[in-house]
Amino acid sequence: MKKTILYLLLSGVLLGACDDSILETVPYGQSTSSQFWRNADDAIAAANAMYEPLVTHDFYGHAEHTFDIPSDDQFRAGDHGEDQAIESFTFDAGNPQLYYSWRHKYEVISRANAVLINVPDISMDQSLKNRTLGEAHFLRGFMYWRLMVIYGGTPLILEADVLANEYNKPKATMEEMQAQIAADLSIAADLLPESHGPDDLGRAHKGSARGLLAKLYLYQENFAGAIQVGQQVLDGPYPLADDFGDNFRVETQNNPEMLFAVQSLQGWRENNHVIYSTPRPWGGWDFHEPVQDLIDEFEEGDPRLDYTVYKPGDMVDLGGSRGLTPYTEDLSSTGYHFRKYSSWRPQGGLNMSHNNPILRTADVYLIVAEAKIRSGQNGDAEINAVRQRSGRAPLTNATMEHLIHERRVELAGENQRHQDLIRWDRAGIVDIVAIYQKDLGPLKPPRTFERPKHYLFAIPQREIDLSNGVLTQNPGY
Amino acid sequence: MNKTLPIERAMRRCLFAFQLLALLAVCLPLTAVSAANGEAVRDVTIRGTILDETGQPLPGATVTVTGSSAGTVSDIDGNFSLTVPDDATLVVSFIGYATQTIQVGNQTEFTIQMTPDETSLTEVLVVGYGTQEKRDVTGAVSSVKGTAIQNLPVSGAAQALQGRAAGVNVVRNGGAPGNQGSIRIRGTGTLNNADPLIIIDGVPGGNLNDVNPNNIESIEILKDASASAIYGTRAANGVVIVTTKRGDFDQPLKFELNGYTGVSNAIKTIDVLEAPDLALLKRERYTNDGLAINPIWENPAYQTQQTNWQEELLGQGTTQNVDLTLTGGNKNSSFMLSGGYFEEKGMITNSNFRRLSFRLNSDHKINDRFKIGQNLQLVSIDQVSPNTLSAQTGVLWSAIRFHPGLPVQNPDGSYSSSQISGEFGDINNPIFTQENLDNNNTSHKLLGNVQAEYELLEGLKVRANFGLEGAISDGSNFNIIVNDQIRANPRNSLSRSYNEYYSVLAEYFVSYDKVFADLHKVNFVGGYTTQTFNSDGFSASKLDFIDESFDQRFLDVGQTLNSINGGKSYDALASYFGRVAYDYDERYLVTATFRSDGSSKFAPGNRWGYFPAFSLGWRVSEEDFFQNIGFISNLKVTGGWGSLGNQNVPGLQYLALISSGRRYSFGGNQTVGAAQTRIPNLNITWESAQMTNFGLDIGFLENRLLANFNYFIKNTKDMLIAPPTIGSIGTAQIPNQNIGELRNQGLEMELVFRETKGKLFYSVSGNASFIQNEVTQLADGNFIGSRLYGRSSQELSRTYEGFPIASFYGWRADGIYQSNEEIQSDANIANYPRRTAGLIQPGDVRFIDLNNDGLIDETDREVIGNPHPKVVYGLNAELGYGNFDLSLFFLGNAGFDIYNADRMQGIDPTYPFNMYAETINRWNGQGSTNEIPRMTTKRDNLNHRTSDMFLERGDFFRLKNMVLGYTLPEMLTSRIGVTRARFYVTGQNVFILTGYSGMDPELGYTDGNLQLNADFAQYPQARSWTIGTTITF
Repeated sequence: MKKTILYLLLSGVLLGACDDSILETVPYGQSTSSQFWRNADDAIAAANAMYEPLVTHDFYGHAEHTFDIPSDDQFRAGDHGEDQAIESFTFDAGNPQLYYSWRHKYEVISRANAVLINVPDISMDQSLKNRTLGEAHFLRGFMYWRLMVIYGGTPLILEADVLANEYNKPKATMEEMQAQIAADLSIAADLLPESHGPDDLGRAHKGSARGLLAKLYLYQENFAGAIQVGQQVLDGPYPLADDFGDNFRVETQNNPEMLFAVQSLQGWRENNHVIYSTPRPWGGWDFHEPVQDLIDEFEEGDPRLDYTVYKPGDMVDLGGSRGLTPYTEDLSSTGYHFRKYSSWRPQGGLNMSHNNPILRTADVYLIVAEAKIRSGQNGDAEINAVRQRSGRAPLTNATMEHLIHERRVELAGENQRHQDLIRWDRAGIVDIVAIYQKDLGPLKPPRTFERPKHYLFAIPQREIDLSNGVLTQNPGY
Repeated sequence: MNKTLPIERAMRRCLFAFQLLALLAVCLPLTAVSAANGEAVRDVTIRGTILDETGQPLPGATVTVTGSSAGTVSDIDGNFSLTVPDDATLVVSFIGYATQTIQVGNQTEFTIQMTPDETSLTEVLVVGYGTQEKRDVTGAVSSVKGTAIQNLPVSGAAQALQGRAAGVNVVRNGGAPGNQGSIRIRGTGTLNNADPLIIIDGVPGGNLNDVNPNNIESIEILKDASASAIYGTRAANGVVIVTTKRGDFDQPLKFELNGYTGVSNAIKTIDVLEAPDLALLKRERYTNDGLAINPIWENPAYQTQQTNWQEELLGQGTTQNVDLTLTGGNKNSSFMLSGGYFEEKGMITNSNFRRLSFRLNSDHKINDRFKIGQNLQLVSIDQVSPNTLSAQTGVLWSAIRFHPGLPVQNPDGSYSSSQISGEFGDINNPIFTQENLDNNNTSHKLLGNVQAEYELLEGLKVRANFGLEGAISDGSNFNIIVNDQIRANPRNSLSRSYNEYYSVLAEYFVSYDKVFADLHKVNFVGGYTTQTFNSDGFSASKLDFIDESFDQRFLDVGQTLNSINGGKSYDALASYFGRVAYDYDERYLVTATFRSDGSSKFAPGNRWGYFPAFSLGWRVSEEDFFQNIGFISNLKVTGGWGSLGNQNVPGLQYLALISSGRRYSFGGNQTVGAAQTRIPNLNITWESAQMTNFGLDIGFLENRLLANFNYFIKNTKDMLIAPPTIGSIGTAQIPNQNIGELRNQGLEMELVFRETKGKLFYSVSGNASFIQNEVTQLADGNFIGSRLYGRSSQELSRTYEGFPIASFYGWRADGIYQSNEEIQSDANIANYPRRTAGLIQPGDVRFIDLNNDGLIDETDREVIGNPHPKVVYGLNAELGYGNFDLSLFFLGNAGFDIYNADRMQGIDPTYPFNMYAETINRWNGQGSTNEIPRMTTKRDNLNHRTSDMFLERGDFFRLKNMVLGYTLPEMLTSRIGVTRARFYVTGQNVFILTGYSGMDPELGYTDGNLQLNADFAQYPQARSWTIGTTITF
């Protein structure tokens, strides 16, 4: 009997007891980083994922556009109370708008770093490998570019930091930021192809990298560099679209002039900025209303005005049961809306496949023109290329005044104006304080831009708090 | 569109479940039960007198006969008479006295002396892998009897437990139907999942909402380490053991029918501005700012009061329950069979909870040594929950803010919309939202086990327990096309999700009970257990349904495929456990427990954890020297220490996971990317909690007054926290890491007094817990943030080292600047550029410059409030007189703060929303108010930043339940074969005393444990009245 008990006990306990395998588990349906990075498919999947955060609501889907509302082109409109402080330079570091896109920019950087660390070891087609690595360098450079123009120096997280698990770093200097951006964009320009086939439109190519690099050189007042790199773009397969409006129509938005745009596809991954910039009764959220001062900037008969804004009297085909609908003054508090970001589906409703333009060849023409003018050369050819496309009379011996006018009308609403003004103010070409002191009506009263404090936005307070003293605030905040 | 269809659909699902249950009920090996009917017997008439312990007659005592419906009650002189068979067994009972069983035999005259009930000491408690008599327990265990929570109009036992036991805080997370709240035993034990382990009839891991509360025999709560260490792995947050009712052997068939029905209504709404006042204040904003008034506020069309949106949204809810329980047993088998239906429809349209439940418990003696028992619980739950947590889309939040000058529906039948103007906010019409909500979650669940016990030698038993817990969950969400509301949805969509979950439990253990030489009582239990957890599911979503009729809301109809996802997970636990209890002469008690656990959640090498515990007890009142101290009838002191584990975090965190499904498009072509979704933590392992407990049990007046005190210190170490993450890491998930320490310490007391005087019985009991929570260590001394509030992403709560979890964090305000002189001379803003720039004006809030640098910025914030109550208490009074019974249950929380975020935004004029009615008392001139800032469209001074202006005391005392019952006299009911028939009225949340200005001071958690008692306009609890009956026959 005693033996029986013993057997029973032992068999019961030992049955499961020695079997630790019950604790083994695997990540069903997911890969681990040690299993991933096997082949070209993995490399491409990782490259595709780098682009994904760009279209997020808290990034180019909306939040990134808030950094241009201080400009004299637009009234913030909308119903985000915190935007008022941004627009009027009364924000403090706790303003949530400063924070929204920060983490998403670093997510793109993190995914780019993962590609740069792992893809070199994958055995795959070399040209595909170059493209993937080039995309990673471009996107990382692009993100540090946006961080740099908005906040100045921010933590530079590169491959070595990822491998060392080191993320809480102090701010890099402006010079370090610019050197990194220049390095990334130069490598990207080397690795990326000239252009892409129809299935890959929207991926970065040589033109994207060189165009952005030219812009960086212009900001650095490296005019020779800007001219040289910019000219490579102008000589490349990136001609201006015949029609300015082609850049803002769903069917033609990926034409060669569009050097880089955040892609949107209805029902898949959508760009909410389309909704944000549309009047409320038309199904939008009514943000970013152009002010009269911008409308007045357009030359008489400039067709770009019609593509840039909705104005009273315009007839717009909203599709579906609404059909052709007049734009009326009461749809907007300024009387206008931007038009570059919306189009309509035949069956009604906003077409959510409308991209978000980031960099166009027209911009590069004006970058080269500005570099030439500011370095004492003649920029007429480049500025006139842009003007003539829209039927404007050519200029001779164009000045910075002409250039400033041309950039304002060509790129209105494309998130450039505030940064342009800062660049020119730093160079003593314009007086940004005076420009922002101008009374543009009850919605856009005079605002006090403090030099140099407002050249940069504040580093988000939340990041400063989380860094435990590592990250320091920009001067004046 | 046919609006009744979703209900029909739900009914059909319920019907299916009913058929399933019925089938099971028939097919299951139902124990054949027949009341033992022996040979012919002779009837005799017996007489007796019932006396109390002092020899006085005891009127009102119940005398029943086992196995028959015969019975009577003693008269005013304690006398009774009854005609019974001569082999009958009498059962004499009276509340507060021990029940006596007497064989009739040849005797016809009886004198029965009753003795006061000491059940509270000899009471048997379920303590995990066995039972212990209460007097032998050396750990901290609270017990709630099923009778205390029976027929309360609540969806689950968790809600009913609120305030019933010291140290057990049930935090109500709003009043949505089926929302059971969060149980916190002895404080919030960790920053991650702090829910206790729920064990239902020996199967760990179930859900309290799945049990029909009327099936519950008792709920034991193991609070300290010594009591709960037997469940080491998952016991760090305490253990709740639910034991359901069972049949008795040799018991005739007994039916019990419970039914109740009632209504519920809102207790309070927020007073908001009416349309004319709203327009007045909106205009004043522009005038104050020197801006042109937006013409919409001059338009008379929107200045007539039309709708109180909260009253439109909050209607009358209903609650219904019916259940039938059958119990019985013969010599070898006994059973309990029960089925029930509970339905709660909330105050808000389309917020429902329905439960169809079925239970079969049975016990069988195969022979003298071999016993088999079984439990089976089948439930089908259907739940619809509205969004009441978002401060951007929540329906109640929206109702407070939607324009009061708009009608619910326009004359043409369409719903009014804030598309009219940007000044009306980005809110959809809340009635439109709620009426079109089509979001059903249905689950069919099974929980069952089979236990076998074989007695090898006297006192030595080998036992095995095999359990299965499973659920099939089905979620369905249809979003209609919304064109005419500001938050439009241009394409309709249907998402369906389907998930199967099951857990398999195997336990093998031996137990040994023996008393040696009448002095040494030994109890041992030890064994091995494994439990595996499998989950497998998929979901799909389609867009573009041409027809939105309810009968077309199926995936087949959608024109465009949106997504298909699916995945699987597996986790497992393997454990060894043992417990020895030794009792010397009923005076000295020792318990030692050990458990070793392996969990698949951690990396190989870090999987096993070891959890020892011991405790000692001394029953002082059993000592000879104590026998002369008459007024103290019982005295026991206990002390213990132990270590417990927590592994309640997601698995596989030691791996760097790469997930696909990152969507983007190139040139209009869909592409999918893959990215790392989580940073790995190779060293992740157990979190542990060390708990020390001291207890004192004391009884006075022959145990009519019983008191229990416990003092504990619980230190949580290696706390699993996903630490604060600097944004430069990106958006990948941060793994839990074993950092952080936490301390909870506190005092718990429970008091019970009961007395019987003639027909009158009364008892008063109370419990209170005083618990302090402090985070003693966090990563790098940094804080952990929490959910942000509303459009402006305002921070409300932070968890800091040296403070309680989820402390409120912000600025300190000191009234309102009344004049420019006050502003210019204020030292708080002496160096503040905003002052010199003229951005601060009379009517703005004076914030305190905490760091004395003469300006107000982010460094002037500090911890401003504590959301944890200093004391949580419950008071229960029961009164019986003859056939009437009355019970009152009060609940209170005191010494805590609420952050009224809803009011913070509600009086903020910079939002395009309606405002609280009190905003009419805004500052509009020197001396006008020191409370409500001026009207402005600007946030120049951030008057409505997170500050102590919006911090309120949350203390409340509420009459949670009130039950008045009447039991029909037995002489009436017995004629129609009814043993007992009781009718009652129950009130829930009958009244509340609170200084809190919001809808309900019970706000609960809004972000795991990291945010507590912040007002987001949560679904408030309702006041409800129900009537019901319990009939036994």
